[in-house]
Amino acid sequence: MKDQLRKAIAGSDADYTEIRIEQEARSQVLFRKDKLENIEGSNEQGGIVRALKDGGWGIAAFNDVSDLPAKVKEATRMARLVAASIDEPVGLANVAPTQQVAAAELARDFRSVPLEEKKKLAEEYNRILLDYDKRIVSTNTRYTDSFRTVTFANSEETFIVQEVPDITLLLVAVASDGSQNIQQGFESLGEAAGYEYVLNRQQEAHDAAKRAIDLLSAKSVSGGKYTVILDPSLAGVFIHEAFGHFCEADFLFKNEQLKKVMKLGSRFGNDDLNVVDDEYIPGLRGNVPFDDEGTPRGKTYLIKSGILNSVLHSRETAKKMGAAPTGNARAISYEYEPIVRMTNTYIEAGHQTMKQMLSEIDHGLYAVRAYGGQTMFEQFTFSAAYAYEIEHGELGEMLRDVVLTGNVFETLRSIDGIGDDLTMYGGSGGCGKGGQFPLPVTDGAPHIKIRNVTVGGK
Amino acid sequence: MDKLLEALKNKVDQAEIYRRRARTIPIEFRSGKLESLKSKETEGIALRVIAKGRLGFSTTTDVADPSVLSNAAIAAAAFGEEAGFSFSDDDPAPRDDVYDKEIADVSEEALVALGKNVIGKLRDADTQVDINLSLTKTIQTVAIKNTSGLNVEEERTHISLSAEIGKTSKGDIFVLFDEQEVRAMSELDPDRLVKHIVDFLRYGKKIVSVESKKLPVVFTPNGTIALLLPLMVGFNGKSVYMGTSPLKGRIGEMAFDPRFSLTDDGTVQHGPRSSAFDDEGTSSSRTRLVSQGTIEGFTYDLWTAALAKAAPTGNGYKGGLLGGGGFRTPPNIGVSNMLVSAGDADEKEIISSIKEGLLVESVLGLGQGNLASGEFSNNVAVAFKIEDGKIVGRVKNTMISGNSYELLKDNLIALGKDATWALGAVNTPAIAVGGVNVIGQ
Repeated sequence: MKDQLRKAIAGSDADYTEIRIEQEARSQVLFRKDKLENIEGSNEQGGIVRALKDGGWGIAAFNDVSDLPAKVKEATRMARLVAASIDEPVGLANVAPTQQVAAAELARDFRSVPLEEKKKLAEEYNRILLDYDKRIVSTNTRYTDSFRTVTFANSEETFIVQEVPDITLLLVAVASDGSQNIQQGFESLGEAAGYEYVLNRQQEAHDAAKRAIDLLSAKSVSGGKYTVILDPSLAGVFIHEAFGHFCEADFLFKNEQLKKVMKLGSRFGNDDLNVVDDEYIPGLRGNVPFDDEGTPRGKTYLIKSGILNSVLHSRETAKKMGAAPTGNARAISYEYEPIVRMTNTYIEAGHQTMKQMLSEIDHGLYAVRAYGGQTMFEQFTFSAAYAYEIEHGELGEMLRDVVLTGNVFETLRSIDGIGDDLTMYGGSGGCGKGGQFPLPVTDGAPHIKIRNVTVGGK
Repeated sequence: MDKLLEALKNKVDQAEIYRRRARTIPIEFRSGKLESLKSKETEGIALRVIAKGRLGFSTTTDVADPSVLSNAAIAAAAFGEEAGFSFSDDDPAPRDDVYDKEIADVSEEALVALGKNVIGKLRDADTQVDINLSLTKTIQTVAIKNTSGLNVEEERTHISLSAEIGKTSKGDIFVLFDEQEVRAMSELDPDRLVKHIVDFLRYGKKIVSVESKKLPVVFTPNGTIALLLPLMVGFNGKSVYMGTSPLKGRIGEMAFDPRFSLTDDGTVQHGPRSSAFDDEGTSSSRTRLVSQGTIEGFTYDLWTAALAKAAPTGNGYKGGLLGGGGFRTPPNIGVSNMLVSAGDADEKEIISSIKEGLLVESVLGLGQGNLASGEFSNNVAVAFKIEDGKIVGRVKNTMISGNSYELLKDNLIALGKDATWALGAVNTPAIAVGGVNVIGQ
């Protein structure tokens, strides 16, 4: 493989050429209600060439890896077409060439676990969901694993082989009281780990089912403005979705107006707010030592003591903005070119306890887990999986239909409590951007308290 | 494919091979400048087998040696679910509107020129906007063969044009999005896309506030997705069979306003999702979901149809609700083209009849409400305030929520008379409903 890549790159007449080849083995077990909807073992291979010629990017993605020189030619042809119609050539910031092999270390490699065992495990969890209560009308129990071997070579003599394991478990219970009231409870787990990660999750299945049933009789929240405590999971999704995407330099680097909004050194929050994209934490989803341009991953403070400290870069955006590449160029697979993405994004722990924050709230909400959400520039909206009333510093009744919305900059400034209990969540889904979904990412935060959040309800 | 099918005949009860070969050319412009050109050539095979009555699935990109695929699918079937259905023995009629030679032949240079032209027109209208534009050309061949005798192949072309326009001013970023997905080059209408965006840019200059209360809302065709998404889930035969749809057991019931009709139609001429057959080889068909307010049917793939003792409707698609699964996932029930009946009101007349309300063009957080119950709860992305029949400005940080089933039954104000394609899947007029919960500032 190494020789093939080297040879194809040597024959390129582009100014910069890179090739990424990927092999994947994956399996899935999916139960819906009492039916095993899918049981699957699959394999896949493909590659992508990126060529930079006269400052224009050309890309060729493919499954047939037998004739790499032809793919390099195709990418270069595309690059020439781009170069002919741009006025500002693309440049790449320097990254030291490296030769590395990063093998995955799994306690129990899921590739050697028989499909039958995976099915039995999923079936057991599915049974727990179904048997919890007769009002559970449907379930979605999904086990997935994927083992990718990603080989990267470029015309600067970098050659990297990285193994990327990923294992997820999704447990969803849907409850109905027979009328139009249909509610769901879920647990969503994911890590770059071995099979041991999905074992002994009976409690999670039980919790998901219980929550679906509890939500049937939960009150709908009344819309309005509230002081809200977000649990670590929802706060992590908030910091990733609402703020993190703003820090991806490919979103900013050609837009002068947005660059002004995201000027380094601007104040974004109180002194105790620190936001990090921490790029290589072994065991967390999607974590490998190098990004998909061969840049080693590091730790980037996006917000330090309330001040915008850095944004996230690829080699191209770093060059253009005069910064150092941060190792955030990632692609979901061989079908896609790397774009600027987050890795493990979190709010650093503060000093307050949950109890202290609660005691400061006379009337508010405690919102738990993200069910969904979307952001568009400064506007964000998230729905909590469930929530509780806060009355006179105490947690009260369970609430549902809690949708939080606002302007991210105002909301960051309104964070006035940061807990001491940072927790990271991988989840079974992933992040989407530019048609690339799902990218394994991890978000985290401690409990945080925010003033004046608009909550939509019935 | 023939050899693989032949080899499988002795090993399993039934087998179905799905092969997809695609060539895609995505062209991206960022901040008005050409960013990259890409050529994507992909090919993969999916195999479903029923062995000893049980179902197994596997996919591969190794088209030269599918023996691994065959072994993997059979291994999965050993622990699979009892199938209880047979692969399709349908004989779909070929269509002449799914492949366009002009799309197949259009060069990358011509597409780049088209993109620049659209960007130029948007710039002419407003020099202060940031423009991201995508043009994607796709040619794909889908072939399905099975042991029931099905043997079909179809070459399909698509072209999509989408533009995202951002206008940043102090303390405000206004973003508009519009897209067109067509099956023939001649149906692409960039001027309409430009006009759509320019009109809304004008309406949006002024920011106004709205108080929290129940208000009438006019959803533009693009905006109707907020209202229609719960229905896409509710009319899905699997939700009905599982009991997670509130429409279960209600065929024949007058559950909507009599002016409201809804059809799932995979056969509509040049429809963005039209094809001769679905991803299981079942002929595409026209399924009446709501006829003048009365629930008439649901959509099915082969497996769910067998479970529910219903007829398959040609809605077995790879991927989720709106497909897009490539060759990778097993078929499941998805939407083909969803058609909402047009009414008789002009969109302008509807707006002028409203004393106080909103015009909603797009929302954030699709699907984050309790879809199964029919609920939506969204932050508006692009919405305007209507006062005394006139659009007076744009509203921000505003939420709308409601229950689609209730709104389309008791609160339908009017359906527009001009249905257009939106989001590459829905053909709908503007829909005006009353009593939507609006939460303002």
